[in-house]
Parts: sequence; structure tokens; C-alpha cells
Amino acid sequence: MTAPDDSAIIDVRGVTKIYRRGGETLVVLDALDLHIPRGGFVALMGPSGSGKSTLLNLIGGLDRGDAGSVRVCGSELTQLSTGKLADWRAAHVGFVFQGFNLLPVLNAQSNVELPLLLTRLSRGDRKRRARAALALVGLEDRRRHRPSQLSGGQEQRVAIARALVSDPELILADEPTGNLDRESADSVMALLAELNAGSGKTILMVTHDPRAAAAASTVVHLDKGQLGRIETGAQFAASQQSLSGS
Amino acid sequence: MPWLLLARNLTARPLRSALTVGSLLIAVFLVLFLRSVVVALGSGVEAASQSRLIVQSAVSLFVNLPLSYQQKIERVEGVGPMTKLQWFGGYYQDPSNFFAQFAVDEERLLDAYPEIELVEGSYEQFLAVKNGCLIGTDLATKFGWRVGDTVPLIGALYSRQDGSTWDFQVTGIYRSKAANLDSRTLWFHFEYLEDTLESGAASGPEGVGVWILRLERGADATRVMSAIDGLFINGPQRVQTTTESEFQKQFVTMLGSVPTLLTSIGGGVLFAILLAVLNTMLMAARERTRSLGILKALGFGDGTAFALLLGESLLLCLIGGLLGLALYGLAAPGFSAFLTSAGFPPLVLDGESVLIGVVLALLVGLVAGIAPAIRAARLEVIDALAAEV
Repeated sequence: MTAPDDSAIIDVRGVTKIYRRGGETLVVLDALDLHIPRGGFVALMGPSGSGKSTLLNLIGGLDRGDAGSVRVCGSELTQLSTGKLADWRAAHVGFVFQGFNLLPVLNAQSNVELPLLLTRLSRGDRKRRARAALALVGLEDRRRHRPSQLSGGQEQRVAIARALVSDPELILADEPTGNLDRESADSVMALLAELNAGSGKTILMVTHDPRAAAAASTVVHLDKGQLGRIETGAQFAASQQSLSGS
Repeated sequence: MPWLLLARNLTARPLRSALTVGSLLIAVFLVLFLRSVVVALGSGVEAASQSRLIVQSAVSLFVNLPLSYQQKIERVEGVGPMTKLQWFGGYYQDPSNFFAQFAVDEERLLDAYPEIELVEGSYEQFLAVKNGCLIGTDLATKFGWRVGDTVPLIGALYSRQDGSTWDFQVTGIYRSKAANLDSRTLWFHFEYLEDTLESGAASGPEGVGVWILRLERGADATRVMSAIDGLFINGPQRVQTTTESEFQKQFVTMLGSVPTLLTSIGGGVLFAILLAVLNTMLMAARERTRSLGILKALGFGDGTAFALLLGESLLLCLIGGLLGLALYGLAAPGFSAFLTSAGFPPLVLDGESVLIGVVLALLVGLVAGIAPAIRAARLEVIDALAAEV
């Protein structure tokens, strides 16, 4: 086993994930290695069932693999108990989901405040920071609205505000534009790009959307649980253009 | 702990929460009401004096004893002040205006019942007026009787030959200083009853229903009871001497299994409500699956998920329980008035009732909430996030 790569915020080595259903076994990730440097903006692409979301869940500490090492933000996640893993997620990761995953009974402000309840911040500080995060995504004036009173694009921006409010090093986004129209999707991608370029957040994004992937600095392709081609966002965009041109 | 989320979850489905709270309200109210009735029925037994004995016929309470027994009983060592106690069984104007009336040895009444405290009129006046009577404060309030008033009673057990009423003059109003004696009784002279019967102006059972006697200080109750019973072992009528507590128990026993029935009804209601709340909480837990997954993904622990579900159940039940207590507090005086007018003891509204109400509500909340809470704690983040709801 080689020494961990300290320059990488995500250092995945030989990770395997197998699903067993009935008598059938399905290898979703097959001894996969992945290294993502701090400050990177990486899009994970691949066909359905290629293991993109599973890999994202392992990196986010939401799920556990069957073999291999998952070292993220300096912690070996395979060694952490369930409780420690929860603490680790609160401290290091912000999640953005395809289905937004806002709590329907809370308004935008309270949804964004949720991760701050796990910090030692005072009530006043929590409110200020949540408001600032909402201002950053352009929704300060909608802070009293519940998710059902917001459009899909606005919901996803609230989810992004919640993901960044506790200032995590890493933002993991699973199909963040999957449920959005083109205009909202572009706005969300512009926001993620700004968080990466302006605030230095490392972003790992699973997407099917070529336009969203083109906004990333690196595009990693996955197929049948194994790493495929790796290219820059610009190369990916160019290949997409040539495809659409031909 | 996201308290706001707990509060919002409570009101997320207002109708369902209201129905759950309502069912707890009714359950706690009913259980407290039934318990109070059971306690009230047995209150005479619990509060009965330990130093007072009752002598009655060994055959039945409804068989009178010869007057001559009194002198023999008085001579038994350890027997203190004693009085005859004869049930009169009359009513005022209408049979529904029923209350207890007893003919007693007027000069010994206060010795036998030191719990009696006169608040109006005088004992001397009671002794001086042959048809004088003492009435309890509850009776005075209910019928508006005052000292000097005449109370005409229709004798059901002792009827007058000319069909007229028995007229008693109120010479004093008493209140009871202890729970074993109510303030709804009319006491009058035994001599008045006896003389009326002897003159032929009225007819009814002769002799004495029971004797009430107080033990002398230091006397052994068991020994005194055996001694009295032994006096008449060969007749003409055998007697049975009991403590006041045993005597009171006879009346509760006469009600048969009513207290058991009432307790069973209360338990049944509570169990049914428990199942309803459990169903509600299981539904709530299913609905919250995705939300719990989100919270766990954000870094909240299994303990928070557990506390959210259990807290919701406990709070719903506690609110229902407290409302049930409030309703009971509001309704108890009305029910008491109704029950006492029908000759029952009043409802008991005490600190114990409040404690029982709160503990019952929390217990239902705990039992109904624990399984959904454990399920919430055990949820895997990935599975919870993939849930439909």
C-alpha cells in the first residue's frame, strides 16, 4: 500500500462496492482509484449504473465501501464510526442533491441554518451567516419562503446556500441541474463555478448534463465501476461541440 | 437539537396532530374521572376512624337489634361513648331529594362523632328541642335551610298514620372536620322517633339499626369486638361488631364489581388510545424518513433522529394530557355537584390526579414513540434519502 497523497483533498484507492440482491451480486465500483487536488472542480460523468453516485456517496461519508481506502479532507473514512462520520460530514462537506432535499416544513432561512446548529455559533450569528449565504445565492428576499413557495432553481440555490453556510472545504453535488430548466441550470452552474474560483471550494459533481460538465475544470469518465478517460473541461466542451457540429 | 424542526413537525399535519391531542385529552379526562369515582366510592373506607366500632345484627344490616342490648354493651371494658344510629330513610318533597337522616342519642352524638363542628346554631338548642335536628353545610346550601327553619320529611321507612310529614326544626348546622364524615346528613333525636312510634302516630321498624361506639384510649379493638359479640352468642339475636373501616367496606361491596368495572373501562380506553397514537407515530415516522436522511447527511447523529421522533410523540401526548387535566379541572365541580345530589361522594381533584394525568400521557407518548424513534435512529442515510417521502 502506498502512502496517502496529502496534496489531494480526495484520495480514493482500490475502492470496491458490491450490491447483493437476492442471490445476485453487482460490482458497482471495482478497485477504483481517484485523486482530486484541493481547489479542483471535477465533473464525474458516465452512463447510468456506472457507479458515479455510489462513488460520490462514499466520498461524502454517506455510504461505506466493501474494500479499499477513502481518504477525504485528511480523514480515512473507512476507519470512522457512524457517529464520527456524521461529525466529519458536518465539519468538512456540503451536499447539493438533484432533488434539492430541503426540509419542507422549514423556510429557506431555517433550512440554511440547519448545519450551523451543529456548531457553537450563537443564535444571532447563525441567523447572520444564513442570511449572508442566502444573499450570496441571490435569495435573501425569499428567506421566509418555504420550499413549496420557491421555483426549482430557487430551491437548488437555497440548497447551495445550505451547503456552503458552514464553510466546508468540499462541496459534493449529485446531479445539481438534473431537475432544472436550462436557465436555472446555467445559473446554478455559474454559482458553483464562482464558489470554486472565488472561494476556493473543491467541488465534485456527478452529472449527465454536458453543459454542466463543461463548466468544470476536469471531467472524469466512469464506466462499469472503473475509471475511464480524464480530460479538462475545455477539452470536454470542444469534443461536445464537434459532436454537435458533426 | 433542531427544536424548530420538532415544533414544525408537530404542526405539519394540523388535523392529525389535533386528533391525536384530542384522543389523549379524552383518555386522560376519562381515566381521571373514573379513578375519582372509584376513589370517592372507597374514600369512606380509607378515612374511617380506627377508634370507632359498629355493632350491627349478625344476620343483616337491615335487621334491627333490641334496645336492651345497649346497657350490656356499655358495660364491656374498653367501650367509650356510644350512640344508637337508626336509618330514617325519608325524603324532602320528592324521592329525588334524597339524603341521609339518622336518629341518634342526641346527648352522645358529639362524643361518638367528634368530627362534627357546629358552624351555626347551638348544640344546647339541639338538645332542648325534641324535634330538633342538625344538618350538614352541604344540605343547608342545597336546600337553602337555615337555623329555625322547619324541614318536613316524608317518611318512607317510618310513615305517619295520618299521612303527614315528619317536621324537624333546624337547631344547628355542622361541617365535617374529616373525610370519613360527610356534610350532607340530618341528625335527630332517637327519642323523638321512639316516642312517635310508641304513641302509634307512626309505624316502622322498632329497635336499633346499629350502635356506634368509640374505644377508650388504649383499648384493644379486637378484644372489645370479641367481647361484645360474645355477649349475645346465644341470642336472642347475635350481633357482629366491626371496625368503622370494615363497616364502610360493606357499602363498597354492595356496589359489587363497579370499581373493577370502572378501572377496566379506564384501562381499555387508555390501551385503545395508545394504539391510535402508535399508529399516528408510525405514519409520522414513515413520512419523516427522507427528512431524517437529510438531517443525517448534514451531520446530525442517530440520537437527534431518535429524539425528534420520541420528542414529537411525548409532546403531542403531553399537550393532550394537560388539556385533559384542564377539562377535568373545569368539569369536576359540576360532576361533583351532580354526584353528591344523587347521594354519591364528591369527586376528588387532588395533586395525585394531576400527577397521574401527566404520567399517563407521558407513558402513552413513550410507548407509542419508542419504536418509531428506534427505527429513525437506525435509518441508513442512503436508504433514507432514497425514500419516496
